[in-house]
Amino acid sequence: MGKTILVVDDSASVRQVVSIALKGAGYDVLQGSDGVDALKQLDGRRIHLIISDVNMPNMDGITFVAEAKKLPAYKFTPIIMLTTESQEDRKRQAQVAGAKAWVTKPFQPEQMLAAVSKLIAP
Amino acid sequence: MAELLWMLVILAVGLGAGFAAGRKRPGVAPAEERVADTHITGVERLAESLAPIWSAQIDSSRSQMETAISQLTEQFAGIVENLDAVLASSAGALEEGQGGTFDRSRSRLGEVVGTLDDALATKRQTVSELRNLQSLNSELRQMSGEVSAIAAQTNLLALNASIEAARIGEAGAAFGVVADEVRALAEHSLSTSERMADKVGRAASTIGTILGNAEETAAREDRAVAGANAEVQAVLDDLQQLVYGFRDSSSDLERAAAGIRSEVSQSLTNLQFQDRICQVLEHLRASMNRFAETVAEAGDRARTDGPPIDPDEALKAISASYTMDEERQAHASGRAAGVRESEITFF
Repeated sequence: MGKTILVVDDSASVRQVVSIALKGAGYDVLQGSDGVDALKQLDGRRIHLIISDVNMPNMDGITFVAEAKKLPAYKFTPIIMLTTESQEDRKRQAQVAGAKAWVTKPFQPEQMLAAVSKLIAP
Repeated sequence: MAELLWMLVILAVGLGAGFAAGRKRPGVAPAEERVADTHITGVERLAESLAPIWSAQIDSSRSQMETAISQLTEQFAGIVENLDAVLASSAGALEEGQGGTFDRSRSRLGEVVGTLDDALATKRQTVSELRNLQSLNSELRQMSGEVSAIAAQTNLLALNASIEAARIGEAGAAFGVVADEVRALAEHSLSTSERMADKVGRAASTIGTILGNAEETAAREDRAVAGANAEVQAVLDDLQQLVYGFRDSSSDLERAAAGIRSEVSQSLTNLQFQDRICQVLEHLRASMNRFAETVAEAGDRARTDGPPIDPDEALKAISASYTMDEERQAHASGRAAGVRESEITFF
């Protein structure tokens, strides 16, 4: 059984691109359309890594990371921010909230898989 | 486009400033004030009407693009999933064809041919035993001939004894009786021997016929088994060629499917532009709404003799709302900016 990764993005096409890359590498993928939707999926199930967008409706990615880190079951789950943004202050906010990496879009699947592999073994 | 809007803002502000300045100058006729006010009101109404129209147009375009790209992505994702399923199925079928069906067919056909070989070996053993029986029968015939010869000599000897017994008269009478009995036994032995020879001859004939039939059958079965072996080998060779052909064909399909999967995945990757464009359009829509508000504010300030709005401040506020480098670059240079390659930062 592969490791499970939760992909959170309000863009369905980005979720699909990330999911296909991850599934091709043998990971199981869950999807969330924004921070609120993603938090509902953090119900105790085993999730090895989270990839989240920053700018999303209802709950943005940095708030989602902070909320996820409050849940004991996901306190140590590594989180990658996947975003079009590149401002340093936003990166610092994500780091303070508990994210482990910041990847800017558009990304190549190989880059994303390399970042994932660095945080969890395939 | 945002810059063009701001030109309109500046125009409105200029009109407002001129109007305000004109009102302060002595000697300006009330008619001129009314004309200026009319211009300002017109620009305000235009801006107020255009902003929601532009917003709606942008939202409509963004929505259409998002829907189309999402559907396209879903379809591409479906293609990738189907290709994955085909690749997995092809790999399984190839493995089954090579190691499974072919090996099982060879093994089962080998068992059938082995059974035929065993039956043929048994038949050969039977033929060999019949040949031994034929040889024994020849010996029996020879022995029967020897018994006949002994009987003939015994008969001759008994005849001579009878003659000698008659020649010596009364004293040889008893010996003559014995000689006659011996002669009768010799004749009986000869008769038995002849019957035996007859039976042995008939047995030899029957054995010869059976042996001939058995040899002919064995030879025919030998040829049939050899033919079956050749046919089975030919079928296995054909089957193997078929499997090899299937394997090659399957490998070609597998390579083609993997290539298509890779290209589709790459195409999906390229569709990420939609996410960026949606954000640019969203920021543009916000800029347009801000434009209408700024025009209205400029008009209010003109009418109330307030200070003119600062276009630089307004542009700075818009710039601060950008999230992507290419937006900031385009804003600063007034030219289209390229997208930077992905960067990864680990904390």
